Amino acid sequence: MNAAGRPADPVADYEAALRATLHGPREAKARMIEELREGLAETARAHAAEGVPYEQAARLAVRDFGTVEEVAPVCQRELTIAQARHTARTVTLTAPFLIACWFLARTPGPSGTAWQLPRTAQALAVHLAGIAIAAALLAAVTLAATGTLARRLPTPHRLPLVVAWAGTTTSVAMAVATLALALAAALTAHWPLLALAGVLSAASHAVVAASARATRRCARLTLA
Amino acid sequence: MKADAVRGHLDGLLLAVLEPGPLHGYAIIAAVQRRSGGVLELRTGTIYPALNRLERIGLLSSSWESAGERRRRCYELTEEGRRTLAGERTAWDEFTTAIGSVLNPATPPGLTT
Repeated sequence: MNAAGRPADPVADYEAALRATLHGPREAKARMIEELREGLAETARAHAAEGVPYEQAARLAVRDFGTVEEVAPVCQRELTIAQARHTARTVTLTAPFLIACWFLARTPGPSGTAWQLPRTAQALAVHLAGIAIAAALLAAVTLAATGTLARRLPTPHRLPLVVAWAGTTTSVAMAVATLALALAAALTAHWPLLALAGVLSAASHAVVAASARATRRCARLTLA
Repeated sequence: MKADAVRGHLDGLLLAVLEPGPLHGYAIIAAVQRRSGGVLELRTGTIYPALNRLERIGLLSSSWESAGERRRRCYELTEEGRRTLAGERTAWDEFTTAIGSVLNPATPPGLTT
């Protein structure tokens, strides 16, 4: 009997334990758990077809499968790479926006220097663009190293952690860009474009920060 | 044969059983065990993340297939997967030939000059 008073089902218990243990992108995790549950259920049905009572067949299936402690680390490694690739894709898509902010900071307004940012803000924009370029390059390398390149080269064990921190750094840069753009928008007459850039920067920050946080968590589980 | 001994050859085994055509996870496991005559001990739960990895690196492709009310993920070799399998076979032949010639030398040592 389980906690709910129903007869214990080893397959359902196994699935619940995996669901609680594994972390990664929602779709990838759901797909992996669905495949594992289906495989385990099919193994149990194969044992039951030989005349073994279902509960015993399910226990035999779990024995064949390996315990959650044996199987989960292998699954988590794959989910961690999936999460790192998700963060890398997010950085690749959003980092160019920081570079665009740099161009925006350098471009004079329609009436001469009307919305040109102060020199300090321009220097900050250059630094943020530098971070964005470095992060985008690292993200591109990550996607290649965990994709087709992985056929020939082993994937570095700590790569997901490096991607996680690169994502975190990019998200901080985006937060700084948001503040700088908000300040600049308040100080210039031509504020709508800067304000719009600030809103987009804030949205990019939220997306990248969430993905980087999830990658840090997955990477810690894999390295533990 | 213990699971640890099999681990280094798992990719080749999975690619080989998928060579004739697409299979779902449980059928892949059954095919490996059938072809090995039940000699290979596999923690079958670890096959699924291995299949996911092979798909990620482009050696397999997959799609959901309905089986009554259930659905199963079916895997299939890609062209790159076939090329990799051919490479795995060549490497395995070279390895077993080299080890075999050391373990079972055709000519006893000392008889050649």
